[in-house]
Amino acid sequence: MDVENGEGQVQVHLKTKQEHYAVPDVPYAIDGTVTTAELNTFVNTLLQQKDGSPVDFDFLVFDEYLRGRLCDHLREKAISFEDAIEIEYVERFPAPEPQDCLLHDDWVSAVKANGKWILTGCYDNTLNIWTNKGKHILTISGHTAPIKAVDWISLDEESGRFVSSSQDQTAMLWQWNVGSNTAECVSVCKGHERGVDSVSVSPDGQRFATGSWDTMLKVWSAELDDAGEGTSKRMKESGVRTPKMTLQGHRESISAVQWMDASTLLTGSWDHTLKVWDLSLEGIKTEISTNKSIFDASYSNLNRLIVTASADKNLRLYDARTNQGSVVRNTYLGHNAWVQAVMWSTTEEFLFVSGAYDNQNKLWDCRSPKAPLYDLLGHGEKVLDIDWTNPKYIVSGGADNSVRVFKSRKAVVESMDTK
Amino acid sequence: MTKKLTLKRKGKEPEPTNEVAASSEASDNEEEEDLLQAVKDPGEDTTDDEGIDQEYQSDSSEDLEFESDEEGNYLGRKKGDGSSEEEDDDGDEEGEEEDEEEDDSEDGESADDGDEEKPTTSKQNKSEDEPSSSKVSKKTQPPTKDLVKRDPSHPEYHDSDTSDEEDIRNTVGNIPMHWYDEYKHIGYDWDAKKIVKPPQGDQIDEFLRKIEDPNFWRTVKDPQTGQEVLITDEDIALIKRIISGRIPNKDHNEYEPWVEWFTSEVEKMPIKNVPDHKRSFLPSVSEKKRVGRMVHALKMGWMKTTEEVEREKQAKRGPKFYMLWETDTSREHMRRIHDPVSAPKRDLPGHAESYNPPPEYLFDERETKEWLKLKDEPHKRKLHFMPQKFTSLRAVPAYSRYLRERFLRCLDLYLCPRAKRVKLNIDAEYLIPKLPSPRDLQPFPTIESLVYRGHTDLVRSVSVEPKGEYIVSGSDDKTVKIWEIATGRCIRTIETEDVVRCVAWCPNAKLSIIAVATGNRLLLINPKVGDKVLVKKTDDLLAEEPSSDVIESERIKAAVQWATAEPAEQEKGVRVVINHFKPIRQVTWHGRGDYLATVMPEGANRSALIHQLSKRRSQIPFSKSKGLIQCVLFHPVKPCFFVATQHNIRIYDLVKQELVKKLLTNSKWISGMSIHPKGDNLLVSTYDKKMLWFDLDLSTKPYQTMRLHRNAVRSVAFHLRYPLFASGSDDQAVIVSHGMVYNDLLQNPLIVPLKKLQTHEKREDFGVLDVNWHPIQPWIFSTGADCTIRLYT
Repeated sequence: MDVENGEGQVQVHLKTKQEHYAVPDVPYAIDGTVTTAELNTFVNTLLQQKDGSPVDFDFLVFDEYLRGRLCDHLREKAISFEDAIEIEYVERFPAPEPQDCLLHDDWVSAVKANGKWILTGCYDNTLNIWTNKGKHILTISGHTAPIKAVDWISLDEESGRFVSSSQDQTAMLWQWNVGSNTAECVSVCKGHERGVDSVSVSPDGQRFATGSWDTMLKVWSAELDDAGEGTSKRMKESGVRTPKMTLQGHRESISAVQWMDASTLLTGSWDHTLKVWDLSLEGIKTEISTNKSIFDASYSNLNRLIVTASADKNLRLYDARTNQGSVVRNTYLGHNAWVQAVMWSTTEEFLFVSGAYDNQNKLWDCRSPKAPLYDLLGHGEKVLDIDWTNPKYIVSGGADNSVRVFKSRKAVVESMDTK
Repeated sequence: MTKKLTLKRKGKEPEPTNEVAASSEASDNEEEEDLLQAVKDPGEDTTDDEGIDQEYQSDSSEDLEFESDEEGNYLGRKKGDGSSEEEDDDGDEEGEEEDEEEDDSEDGESADDGDEEKPTTSKQNKSEDEPSSSKVSKKTQPPTKDLVKRDPSHPEYHDSDTSDEEDIRNTVGNIPMHWYDEYKHIGYDWDAKKIVKPPQGDQIDEFLRKIEDPNFWRTVKDPQTGQEVLITDEDIALIKRIISGRIPNKDHNEYEPWVEWFTSEVEKMPIKNVPDHKRSFLPSVSEKKRVGRMVHALKMGWMKTTEEVEREKQAKRGPKFYMLWETDTSREHMRRIHDPVSAPKRDLPGHAESYNPPPEYLFDERETKEWLKLKDEPHKRKLHFMPQKFTSLRAVPAYSRYLRERFLRCLDLYLCPRAKRVKLNIDAEYLIPKLPSPRDLQPFPTIESLVYRGHTDLVRSVSVEPKGEYIVSGSDDKTVKIWEIATGRCIRTIETEDVVRCVAWCPNAKLSIIAVATGNRLLLINPKVGDKVLVKKTDDLLAEEPSSDVIESERIKAAVQWATAEPAEQEKGVRVVINHFKPIRQVTWHGRGDYLATVMPEGANRSALIHQLSKRRSQIPFSKSKGLIQCVLFHPVKPCFFVATQHNIRIYDLVKQELVKKLLTNSKWISGMSIHPKGDNLLVSTYDKKMLWFDLDLSTKPYQTMRLHRNAVRSVAFHLRYPLFASGSDDQAVIVSHGMVYNDLLQNPLIVPLKKLQTHEKREDFGVLDVNWHPIQPWIFSTGADCTIRLYT
């Protein structure tokens, strides 16, 4: 490679954490106007001695994705052109492919994938179980109002357990027998005074938490036979379950609940706050005030950050560890309407998906606030829920009565590698 | 005093003595002055009578008393001059005359003495002898007359001490004698007989007399009397002396030895032995004042040294120079003008202006042409005239434009501003009251977030559940729809029999009721959303009809009937039906959710009704119609009821049952109103494009009138928590404004229009029909003629 002197040239070091793609650590002088595509060719040229097939890379300059020209990026970040710039390149996350469309009878307001199953909650008060191949397995009815959230408790070859919450003010604990393909309601969790908007099962599968429009956060046992002492025999027989814990603190509906670890809960509410609850103390650990109602929040165990979807078009990144109020770490612009659902990848540190009322799902890298990595098109109506629990599939349900399944190719590759 | 003396002497004395006296007098005067200067203050140059007297006395007599002038003189003279002239003093005018005669005749007589005495005698004359003084004044006549009188036989004052004799000679007085030329007489005598002029001979007679009369040459005709007078030898001698320029008095010795009457030496010791007066030891008040004045003048710097005074005088006397090209700014009268502008100066004339300019200044042909070409735009010319050459200044003709240019110059000077005008540089923005930036007033809705689609006709009304999870909407498609706010999902659709004009969710969160005004009926619907317990409780509450023993009047019965819904309607959720006798336009809840009011514009005096839910009772609050009622409103706190007719709003106290206030809107047609949750401010929308903000504490006139919309304003709404209000109009816009009401009574509400949200579509001239706020979030719902409900966040 010729080293050209002149204006607009910058010295770069190319680095990567993926060692099989490493290039010699020597400074290269490249033109300031290069874009990702040119850098890609350049890196691939460097790599050509070792590897035959070209690989797509993304380039990180100072922890942010390079999206336009390098010089613009530097200027925006106010970095001197004189310094040697470190460019990290990572293999580009492959574009997810739309795989399936699971048609329902009504709006799909909750989806959750687990293994090869996809559990959906529907506005027609039913739960549905699908295989990730798009085969409808079971329709479970039991709720008397639209289902707002579902979550898996456990799943094995023979049976699965899951919980669903509904606007009928209850959450239901279900036992699904895979072999006989029957599901029965283990117990009905009554206690909320209004619709239950969110449900989340603890990592150990022992408990689950629900957030409701009555502003309460309730924690319930997820065991099949609730060994609570206070419960009466009659209630046991009828399968009615009472909360183990009721936490009051929010002033508005709790729209998002997630377990951060075995005893810590994250909630997001319409009262513009995120709260981290410590269940051992039964109190609030951290409170983050924002200036919009929060519709969904997701916490990643990989990078310990919280991403929220709120009553505007932006996604925001928070760090619950800092105690300094509403410090927004980053704002992700890209959606054209309210973002209703957001979820971190369970395997990729920097990736998350979001679903919004502009009928789009987007796949984001948290280092690229200006633009998402991919737009996942397909929905014809508002997206109400999105799930990426299974790293292989991004599943979203929307107001077009369908669940869209997108195959995440990288996950496929990795899983194949591991196999 | 000296002057007086001289005058007197003049009058009395014959000329010769007069002369001497005058000279001596003059010398006296000089001496006096010398002495004065030696003794007195140099500053005091006033010839004060008193001072002179003092000096006069002091050197004439040693022991003069400090007395009045006359006495002093008298005394002084008596002491100093001995007794030789005492007889003179005593003697009357005759003696004097003689004395004078002697003086005239004898040379040897000491003139000194005479001189010395004369003042005193005259004084005595003056004081003692009035007649003589009058005679003296008479005698002041030209010397010729004296000559006439003076014939040797008749000494002047010999026999006549009266003026009669003289009058005989000249009876006509001192008049031009040619007046008597034509007459034969001159005047009249004592007996009134004409005094006939002596016969006048002709030339020959004259000649003959000249020949005959040896004294002819000394005969003179007195023009006043016409008499012929013979001049004496003495007179001739006198005339000769005068002609020859000598002193007329032949006895006068011009070279007398000098007698030093007044010494020039300053005496070391006081001349007079008089002790100082007591007064002189007292500080003088007048002097003190004078000194005070001087000190003051010194302090103030007014007093100038003689040098300075001299210099000033010199400057005043010297030539004055005027600066021809001086600027006005240096002038004193321009000083008070701030930043003055001096009048523009004319350019000094150059060579081109000369009558005989150097040839290079004269125009050649091209220049002339150019100059003439610019006839229509003379200001573009380089020179405003054409230089011309004349052989001599004489040949220069009169300048035809002189007057005009002078006039224009004067006009320039007159019209030019004298001072730089301080331009009042007020920004238009400065006059606009300082409003906070909308950025600082967040949060407020800025963008359309959701559209609730489903209605098939224009949506008239929207109302939000108190908890903020659901909304209800009523439409012309005869349906009521309940929506989930967050997702835009229509939860339920309730069909009614008529157009739904108004829906209102019960503000009491403990009740789950929607009031729906459809046609003549008011439906109380249980929406069956939200808390199930509440839904059940509400159902129970509405199911049982309270027993009331109150017998309602016919008037109310004719207007309203309560009924429990039919089973078919019960299915849909309708619980109670209140049948009205006219179509209901509007329904509104009281804050506690027990009372609700309905408006039937066609109901005349029964157009406003108040229903009580718990007792299933209705009231007609007004017996008389005050106009076409448009809408009604309950006060959020007080038992007050707002009734808007087409033009005015009346506030009634429901407890006292009286009119509290009447708000004058000054508008043609009120469309809606909304009250601030604190209850002191009322917002009114009108069909004539206005929004009116009433501060109920302030006045019955609008506190502010907002003309934000371009078309009829249909609806206004206050937010319950945020300081926000919104208005919806037929121009399809929802305008969100900041309306901050302060607890401080001194501070007026702050109103800032924030955002215009215009996403509704126009249908048949209708735009936005209703607006309503989310009870908790800063979100606004608007219903439009385009069959949609829109949420702005």
